[in-house]
Amino acid sequence: MLRFVVRRLIFAIPTLLAVMTMVFVLVRIVPGDPAQTILGDQASAEALQTMRERLGVDRPILEQYVEFMRGALVGDWGESMVTGKPVLTEIARVLPYTIELTVVSLIIGAVIGIPLGAWSALHRNEWIDYATRVGSLLGLSFPAFVSAILMLIVFSIQLRWLPVISGGNRATFGEWARSLALPALNLGLIMAAYITRVTRSSMLGSLGEDYIRTARAKGVPERVVIWRHGMRNALIPVVTVVGLYLGILIGNSVLTEIVFNRPGLGKLIVGALGQRDYTLLQGLMIIYTFVIVIVNLLTDLTYGLIDPRVKYQ
Amino acid sequence: MIHPGNPRVEPVLDVSNLTTSFRIGGEWHAAVRGISFALQPNETLALVGESGCGKSMTALSILGLVPKTNGRVEADHIRYEGKDLSRLPDEEMRKIRGNGISMIFQEPMTSLNPVLPVGFQVMEALRYHQKMSRGDGEKRALELLELVKIPSAKSRFKEYPHQFSGGMRQRVMIAMALACRPKVILADEPTTALDVTIQAQILSLLNELKAETDMSMIFITHNLGVVAALADRVAVMYAGDIVEIASVNDLFARPTHPYTEALLRSVPRSDRDTKTLYSIPGAVPPLTRMPEGCRFAARCELAIDICRRQNPPLETLPAGGAHSVRCWVRGDHDLTAMKEHADV
Repeated sequence: MLRFVVRRLIFAIPTLLAVMTMVFVLVRIVPGDPAQTILGDQASAEALQTMRERLGVDRPILEQYVEFMRGALVGDWGESMVTGKPVLTEIARVLPYTIELTVVSLIIGAVIGIPLGAWSALHRNEWIDYATRVGSLLGLSFPAFVSAILMLIVFSIQLRWLPVISGGNRATFGEWARSLALPALNLGLIMAAYITRVTRSSMLGSLGEDYIRTARAKGVPERVVIWRHGMRNALIPVVTVVGLYLGILIGNSVLTEIVFNRPGLGKLIVGALGQRDYTLLQGLMIIYTFVIVIVNLLTDLTYGLIDPRVKYQ
Repeated sequence: MIHPGNPRVEPVLDVSNLTTSFRIGGEWHAAVRGISFALQPNETLALVGESGCGKSMTALSILGLVPKTNGRVEADHIRYEGKDLSRLPDEEMRKIRGNGISMIFQEPMTSLNPVLPVGFQVMEALRYHQKMSRGDGEKRALELLELVKIPSAKSRFKEYPHQFSGGMRQRVMIAMALACRPKVILADEPTTALDVTIQAQILSLLNELKAETDMSMIFITHNLGVVAALADRVAVMYAGDIVEIASVNDLFARPTHPYTEALLRSVPRSDRDTKTLYSIPGAVPPLTRMPEGCRFAARCELAIDICRRQNPPLETLPAGGAHSVRCWVRGDHDLTAMKEHADV
């Protein structure tokens, strides 16, 4: 198992190198001059030239590439072209916010989605099932920023239960939880909609399997048939979907971050794009790739917990 | 000593007028049509017939495992230990399943749960029916795995089904079915999915176990060789009806229903020089298009006019014993009288 993890991480190295190269190329293909962006329209040609030299974008492309790769490997990811702070510092500042938001919304999604999906499957084609299916479809098609604004209006402005700005004071656990509640609920409900649908369909599949009939023929109580025999097998596709969706969520929570005014990777990426902050963008892409690799690894390890047929070699 | 159909011996299982129907396209169609039989203590009753004859459905109906969403089981009674299984509440039925009556399924490859260790799956019934502690359950489950002759059972106890071969999985299934020492075992083609040498091993294992315990067995198969080796009594099913029921000796000596005869003719034999193997022309009619009269008439070489109009009753042959057959031509019917009656 440990060998499997190490091997997977080693295999991740070529992936990361390839992504870094692509990022390097892509960032430089994007039209627009970073010096111009930083200094604005009124900057003199001289000032622009000085800025280009400072940024290193005037040097031959190959030299830039070698410098970039060397830097990345030794942990020197350069400074943000906009703020001048090291890229790693910028990322490290927002990463905890993204991780906590992702993890808590995943938990909310699973806690709501898995039982609801199972319940829906067990009452197939009854009103409970229809209601769940309509509800989850609504959750999928409702734009995240609309639900976020609605939540803000109801819980923060009308009821005044929770703070409007969620990146604010978080010194105590209570404050932390209150600041996280709405954004996590917003993303968690969308996640729950995904999980409900996948759980429902895979549960329907597993409940139709022969081993379920065997369990019933043994006289195992129905509750145990459903949860121990049915759910455990039904969870495998759920884990796949959660893994895929987590990867998307980490970069795509930007709208939620903006509405609730909280820092995060998504917001940082959009900001860096708008300001042509090449160095920061490069760093974010690498981090993002790394996160995807980690999420995939965790997904594969979770398969092993559920399904003994999965072997780690 | 077994007394087939001996009324003085109280049957362990008494099925009367069992009908199992399914809703297909908004209409109910019977897959099992009012069959009745009794299973004596320590008796093996074989249910024989082609695929789609209602054999498996009979077994699932007895255990109450017919899906309720589109299936319906009706019976005058299914009597077991003074209870009528056809009218038992779900929870009461659950207490009988795997405890008093258990089932072995056809597909050992898919009938075991892939994510649970085999030992655990054998132990489950013991835990729920006999409220055994984990330790006792494990001990008994290990004994059972040894009883069904799984080599080095102790070390394989915690292994998963995918680490077992088909034959070994079927042994696990048998161990599961035997766990609570049931009075009745319903074996639904337990050897069909296995290769021939393994089939023989499983059959001799079942025979041994039956001899050691006092259980009765309903053995579902389409393999007449297996019937001859294992059964005390045979019920031949066709399209949801029992068309012939007799002791195994009577059936092989005097197959009476044309369908039974045809089944026997389609068994490959080494003592006859046959270039081509006989097969019954046609197929079992689908549930949605059951013919009016005898359901075998369309494939029967002996069919006469009445066969196509009216389904014959299952009637005991005058020769004695308990040999019954459902046939206008071969049964004990005065056809001339009936013909006259029909003409009037």
